[in-house]
Amino acid sequence: MKLAYYPGCSLKGTSFEYEVSLLKVLEALNIEIQEIPDWNCCGASAAHNLNHNLSVALPARNLAIAENSGFEEVLAPCAACSSRLKTAKYEMAADNILKKRITDSLEMPYNNSLNISNMLEFLLNIAGKEKIKSLVKKPLSGLKVASYYGCLLVRPPKVMQFDDAEKPVSMDELVALTDAVPVDYSYKTECCGAINSLSKPDVVMALTGKILYDMKEHGADLVVVACPLCHSNLDVRQREIERKYAEKIGLPVLFITELLGLSFGFSPKELAIDGHMVNADKVLEKIL
Amino acid sequence: MKTVINEQQRRNFVGEVESKLHDKLAKCYQCGKCSAGCPVNFEMDYTPNQIIKMTELGMIDNVLNSKTIWLCVSCNTCSTRCPKGFEVAGIMDVLREVAARKGIKSKTEKEIQTFHEVFLDNVKSNGRIFELELVGKYKLKTKHLFRDMFLAPKMIEKGKLKMHSDKVSNISQIAKIFKDFE
Repeated sequence: MKLAYYPGCSLKGTSFEYEVSLLKVLEALNIEIQEIPDWNCCGASAAHNLNHNLSVALPARNLAIAENSGFEEVLAPCAACSSRLKTAKYEMAADNILKKRITDSLEMPYNNSLNISNMLEFLLNIAGKEKIKSLVKKPLSGLKVASYYGCLLVRPPKVMQFDDAEKPVSMDELVALTDAVPVDYSYKTECCGAINSLSKPDVVMALTGKILYDMKEHGADLVVVACPLCHSNLDVRQREIERKYAEKIGLPVLFITELLGLSFGFSPKELAIDGHMVNADKVLEKIL
Repeated sequence: MKTVINEQQRRNFVGEVESKLHDKLAKCYQCGKCSAGCPVNFEMDYTPNQIIKMTELGMIDNVLNSKTIWLCVSCNTCSTRCPKGFEVAGIMDVLREVAARKGIKSKTEKEIQTFHEVFLDNVKSNGRIFELELVGKYKLKTKHLFRDMFLAPKMIEKGKLKMHSDKVSNISQIAKIFKDFE
């Protein structure tokens, strides 16, 4: 099966650590992925906020290119991208008129046949737990890890068709494979404020702060995510949140692929963990 | 709050919203579960269930000029929990689009609306997001030049802010998508 890779804009910019680490992990798992040729931005939140048809047409171009290149499966590691690709597929299946308008505009045939996976789905379904477990050379024993899912991996469930919308466990299962301890806490799927980080920073810091302090209270050493925007709010804004609420947090935020990579024996540098704003050295000292 | 409603305008508005939403406003029985779970309800002027009822009643100006429609972050908690399966997050998308098409500029949440507009402009011209350009143009438009600037040096040091970005090669196809659907 030919596996397509849709990196999206964040993985080529502010969240480059996610791409570096997922490429390392998939290489170790011996899974070959190929970037969709000449991919474009999925339109993210802006498109569906302002123009519904455009929010379907922009991701549809990527799906059509992938399908016409002979791919059957698309990996979209960014939760927002995977949500937009899945939504485009869902909308085109439900609305034939819109689908025809889009294929006419793209001047490409398109059958809407691709399967789209977020990072967690891809790891669990394509690689599988056994294979991942077999590569764990450096068990992360005793490390307490809070998995943060946010919104778009699981909601809305009728479109995402992944895990439980209120109490997901898939990322915790991946964490457990590394021998780290999954931390149970209250706000696994509570929103971090997402795209309003620049336009409404006070609201985003209130939401993100609530999540981070709750993880801390439940004893987490570090946080794992599978979304660049969640990462950005939890990592980049963390110092400012500490200042605003005058209470230290000090929780490094890793992508799930970085945590797996560490357990596979890659160094933090190889996984670009030094690219994060919250320094992870002290926490990782315990296990490395 | 006293609002005079024109019945014909009300019907037209409800018809427009329902046809874009592919859902019926009357489904909502005002239980308020959407508003209880909404993570940004504390900033809103009307709760999500109020927006649904106000739309049904034809309170067009109040709805389209509300803070609520722009504050909604589309986390979809509301739609997921709605006991009637109503598209609560969907109606926010529809109302934002209707407001934007009418040329309504949000007075209270103009930063949020501007960010989305600048973001789409960036997609239109590059096919992909060039983050530095996006942030720069957003800051120029909103005049919040110095907000968040303290983050920049460390982000550059960490390699998070790229000085250039790859564009889509077939940019004429992107232009065509915008021409056909904008």
